[in-house]
Amino acid sequence: MDEDAIQLSFDRLGLSSQASIREVERAYRELCDLYSEESLATYSLMGYAERQEKLELLRTDYERILHSRLHRAPVAANLQTAADRQYSALPATIVCVDADPGQDPGTFLQQMREARGLSLRDVAERTKVGSFQLQGIEQHRFDVLPAPVYLRGFLKEFARVVEAPDIEALVDSFMVLYLNARDGKMM
Amino acid sequence: MTGSVDLEHKAPRPRIWAIGGGKGGVGKSVFSTGMAMTLAQKGERCIMLDADLGGANLHTFLGMSHPGRTLSDLFRNQSLGLKDILLSTPFENLWLISGARAMLDMANPSYLQKMKVIRQIFSLNADHIFIDLGAGSAFNVLDFFLAAHEGVVVVMPTPTSIENAYHFLKAVYYRKLRKVVRELKVERLIDAALSAKVKSGIRSPRDLMIDLQHRDPIIGEQIVRAMMPFRPRLIVNQVQRNEDRDLGKKIALACRDFFGIEMTVPGLIRTDERVLMALKSRRPVLEMFPNCPFAEDVRRIAQQMTRVRR
Ligand SMILES: Nc1ncnc2c1ncn2[C@@H]1O[C@H](COP(=O)(O)OP(=O)(O)OP(=O)(O)O)[C@@H](O)[C@H]1O
Ligand SMILES: [Mg+2]
Repeated sequence: MDEDAIQLSFDRLGLSSQASIREVERAYRELCDLYSEESLATYSLMGYAERQEKLELLRTDYERILHSRLHRAPVAANLQTAADRQYSALPATIVCVDADPGQDPGTFLQQMREARGLSLRDVAERTKVGSFQLQGIEQHRFDVLPAPVYLRGFLKEFARVVEAPDIEALVDSFMVLYLNARDGKMM
Repeated sequence: MTGSVDLEHKAPRPRIWAIGGGKGGVGKSVFSTGMAMTLAQKGERCIMLDADLGGANLHTFLGMSHPGRTLSDLFRNQSLGLKDILLSTPFENLWLISGARAMLDMANPSYLQKMKVIRQIFSLNADHIFIDLGAGSAFNVLDFFLAAHEGVVVVMPTPTSIENAYHFLKAVYYRKLRKVVRELKVERLIDAALSAKVKSGIRSPRDLMIDLQHRDPIIGEQIVRAMMPFRPRLIVNQVQRNEDRDLGKKIALACRDFFGIEMTVPGLIRTDERVLMALKSRRPVLEMFPNCPFAEDVRRIAQQMTRVRR
């Protein structure tokens, strides 16, 4: 990816390129709040169109930074190979799971895990994700979960280890729930 | 060999504060008086200078009904200096230079008269001088604001007050920039940048700085460096709603992001009905209600602002 563009995105969020994901998220949220339509501080500074443009630019910057970090993260790559090796050993059991992965992806993952006869600790070992956070995923305890960029990776590993079908859709539906909950809290 | 002491690391004496903010009625005078009372009560010698030539009223805030000599006398009589029109107040360690009646003679003192006042402020014998500015962004107001060591902008949580504050800040910023440019003798560079303003999309001081750095990296850098000490303080006064508690931080963020102007936010002041009660009794709030929320907030801000020099 274009290094200059990434640097510019950091600049626009008022951050150094060394900023942690948490700092990126915070800056992004603060700026979205600052340029939101209800914001008294920027009320007189811009009209509707300019505001939308500004928010769009912010979102692009935010996503560009997350994307660049995701591709750099060595953790994700290692996990994959470790996990791949692990599950060739799993018995190919046919499982019965009744949770709807779209409505309740956490419970779905939990049922998949139990159907595979795996404990949280087993999954934690294979994914290198802490069992506390795995449990957070299963129970939709959004407050204990990490930033979206990490969370996505965790969810994928979790789903892969328990051999869930259609992993992308499952991860997406979890992320939607997570982001909605977080935005709801922000207001 | 000289016997002079190294004063380098000490705060300049007197330390000069200017309180402005564009909009009328936001609480500039109430806040100036609160700051001066707080520091005077701590034993620091304070002078309040009422530079609101159109609507001088600090004497009333201090319970003095008939100020004696005022700035108006100074403007009329060449031989008078600032220290000759210094008035004692009913309060220990606190003096007033009144601006009352100056309006009748001249709402806009001449450039020379203004410079005379500014020059003399620095030789007054005090620890702190608070210049209470009038509303608006006239050159008079801007020049006093820029002459001070510390510029304080007061706003209220209303759209118009915030809009005026942005206008004021930009006006001060450009006024300072003009001075810097004159000192560096690089007027031509700025003129070139400003005349291409529309074409190159310059809409804020921030855009202008970026443009200057592209035009001439060396001079651009010098200008940026010279502008750096410009770092006004921002006080949000009359805060009532919880959601306005972080308004100061947001305005500062918008100033940085939108204008490239850095501000610090030493604290906020809550709305307090005792402010009006004290005004009606012609007594300073801090004297009449020493422990009310307003007094608490002002004391906290005073402590924050006098802690260390930035
Ligand atoms: N924190 C506060 N709580 C309640 N009322 C306040 C507060 N601060 C200011 N006020 C009210 O606002 C009014 C205006 O305050 P003040 O005269 O200090 O404003 P100003 O900015 O100096 O106005 P001007 O530009 O006209 O000189 C006062 O009458 C006072 O009652
Ligand atoms: Mg006033």
